[in-house]
Amino acid sequence: MSKLVKIQGLEKSFGKVQALKNVSFDVGPGEVVGFIGPNGAGKSTTIRILLGIIKRDAGSAEIFGKDVWRDSFEIHKRISYVPGDVSLWGSLTGGEIIDLFMKLHGSGNREKRDYLIERFELDPRKKSKGYSKGNRQKVGLIAALAVESDLYIFDEPTSGLDPLMEQVFQEEVEKIKKEDKSILLSSHILSEVERLADRVVIIRQGEIVESGNLDELRHLTRSRVVLETEGDVSKMLEVNGVHDFIQRENQGIFSADHEHLNDILIEASRLKVKKFEVAPPTLEDLFMRHYQG
Amino acid sequence: MKEKFARWHILLLQYFKRDWKKIFIWILALGLFSAGFIPAFEEMAKGDGLIGMYETLRNPAMVSIVGPTPIKEASKYTLGAMYSHEMLLFSGLFAMIISILHVIGHTRKEEDLGLTELVRSFQVGRQANSLAVIVETIFINLILALFIGVIMISFSADGITTLGAFLFGFAIAIAGIIGAAIGILMAQIMPISSAATGSSLGIMGLLYLIRGGTDISNIKLSMLNPLGWVYLTYPFTENNWLTIIFGLIFSLVIMILALSLEGRRDMGAGYLPERQGRANAKKTLLSIPGLFIKLNKGTIISWLIAFPVLGAAYGAIYGDMETFLESNEMMKQMFTYSGISIEESFTSTIIMVMVLLVAILPIAIVNKLFSEERNLNLSQIHGTKVRRSQLYWTNIFLAGLVSIIGLGLAVGGLGGAALSVMKSTTMNIVDFLVAGYNLLPSILFFIGLAGLVLGWIPNLRKILYIYLSYSFFVNYFAGILNLPKIVINTSPISWLPKMPIESFKFKNFAIITIVSIGLTLLGYWGYKRRDMVEGA
Repeated sequence: MSKLVKIQGLEKSFGKVQALKNVSFDVGPGEVVGFIGPNGAGKSTTIRILLGIIKRDAGSAEIFGKDVWRDSFEIHKRISYVPGDVSLWGSLTGGEIIDLFMKLHGSGNREKRDYLIERFELDPRKKSKGYSKGNRQKVGLIAALAVESDLYIFDEPTSGLDPLMEQVFQEEVEKIKKEDKSILLSSHILSEVERLADRVVIIRQGEIVESGNLDELRHLTRSRVVLETEGDVSKMLEVNGVHDFIQRENQGIFSADHEHLNDILIEASRLKVKKFEVAPPTLEDLFMRHYQG
Repeated sequence: MKEKFARWHILLLQYFKRDWKKIFIWILALGLFSAGFIPAFEEMAKGDGLIGMYETLRNPAMVSIVGPTPIKEASKYTLGAMYSHEMLLFSGLFAMIISILHVIGHTRKEEDLGLTELVRSFQVGRQANSLAVIVETIFINLILALFIGVIMISFSADGITTLGAFLFGFAIAIAGIIGAAIGILMAQIMPISSAATGSSLGIMGLLYLIRGGTDISNIKLSMLNPLGWVYLTYPFTENNWLTIIFGLIFSLVIMILALSLEGRRDMGAGYLPERQGRANAKKTLLSIPGLFIKLNKGTIISWLIAFPVLGAAYGAIYGDMETFLESNEMMKQMFTYSGISIEESFTSTIIMVMVLLVAILPIAIVNKLFSEERNLNLSQIHGTKVRRSQLYWTNIFLAGLVSIIGLGLAVGGLGGAALSVMKSTTMNIVDFLVAGYNLLPSILFFIGLAGLVLGWIPNLRKILYIYLSYSFFVNYFAGILNLPKIVINTSPISWLPKMPIESFKFKNFAIITIVSIGLTLLGYWGYKRRDMVEGA
């Protein structure tokens, strides 16, 4: 099946500032793509172009094979979107706003709405000017999750939510994922992306610097090893592929190149291993590698 | 006791530092508004002006709007008497509104925003903030009083005494202080800041309406009204300081009550429970027109009430129009044309004023769409199957609709009141309505401009109000300033005949309407293709 989202050589400038230089990536059917990057990298700009809120300067952007600017009306029948900063009309209640968004989307499900309101513990009778940032975010999320769509676009959806509600959000997204829906999830909460995403696209200063599935990307980095031995652990320092070695008594902490893992294990076993822990590289490590340049 | 207010004076100093620009503008603008019209009033008082104004303002309809005067005969009506009669109540109301907004903005609103939480985590008394804000507001109002007094004296006009000028200033200050007291009280009672602001302004509006009634029926009852204490000082005539004392005592009692209520409540809580809203939307809300009607409802309703009231206020003048116009050379030049009945020529000018007033509302509605866009309120809607055309045309049509309704109400109010106070006239209500709707295309023109600005240069939307005020100025003063034709024609009102003194011209009506529609189309073209501005 063809790609749901297809972006090729996207460019956008605001006055003299070039916000997007060359952005290309795609989202396949049933795929969850994590879109990560620091603030100001161009995540929201890309998403706003996808939604037809702003117009690209160059390149192509398609959703469901249709042009995001020209055919935005057709496209919007089958997508859900939650902005990173949900801003609401103070004089309306959360419940009213959710109903309005669902109606404007077109394919709402009333039971699902009530179920989500309960799950997210939102008081729908409260005027939204009294909502905290997290509660406003919940309104946006409930409205987006309660409708049937083929593509869900979330722009830093959990900002302001407490960890419990973040958990609820992730569970609900996993449900959508099981229904084979596609999701574009922009975030800088790495654990969230790590848990949900099949593939990650990293953007930095308006350019895609890395993309691939998580396993592929992890090969580019090193694992973190904690090793405790009976013998002198400092000998590990001389082994090929051991980096950033720190010693605490007879415990050594270091990063290990994956291609030298065998040598490391052979040397470690000579020192009589008491404890051996390996942590796979986190997205954090991926992230830092790109941002440190 | 002391602990509760610990370090309030440090906060106070801090607040003066924080707010000094606001305070400066507040005192300057309100001071000039309250005291700066003396030269204009001097101009008006020339000839038989004072007698004319006295007759006009004695009309019960006017008394219920601007308040009473203690003067019993026209010959004793001095410049000072007229000035305080016309200006004091309104200046006081402005002082009250600003004080209410300031006090609630720095107490309850900061509490809602979580700023208070931060401040209280330091070595600061629980109620130090409230006390500091109250003292700050009182202080600002006192400076304002002195400033007003000094400006008034500086004109060294006849009948503006030093004592009266300072009393005038302090009467305005006491209005501000009473406002601060009401504001701080409501900040404790209401569950959120917007409810506190709304109820405070509501109380003020209610006091205003009640005094409008008691001023006419029994002025002694106005003595029981805190708003009455402002203008019942009667500066320049009776110079009654007593009501200032009433105001001070009243404010002090209310403030102490408010502080003790605050001492007993939790932060972020109020005494009245928050009203529960709807868990589900009404069907009428569930569409783009439904949404924008709901968003603009408050504005629309208040203007639609204001239009006929303002119309009627002008209409009430018709009864004493002749005295009013005969009395003053400047007024006469503004309102009369040779060979035409005085009420008809007066009507043509007043209707122009009404039309420009009505035009404010549709401009506000079209501009609202942009403020929604900029506040990010529409982000999620852009992700649904809502076309930009729907957003644009909904607002343009809504603007057009309220213009038609508003114009009818304004002119109807004017005509209704005018006809009921005139003893004999050849005009009837249809003349008024026709004269009003004759100018409808000029309102449509403003809507067209608003659409154009929305589509192409939304950041410059305030220009519309400047152009509107400019048009008002050009048309209103065209007569006395002898403006050249080319300048007069820069206002859209000038492109249409002055009814009822001139006759209806279909060609002008049609062309301006079509041009206006063309402008909205041009605006739509821009709106459709520009980037949405979000959060800028």
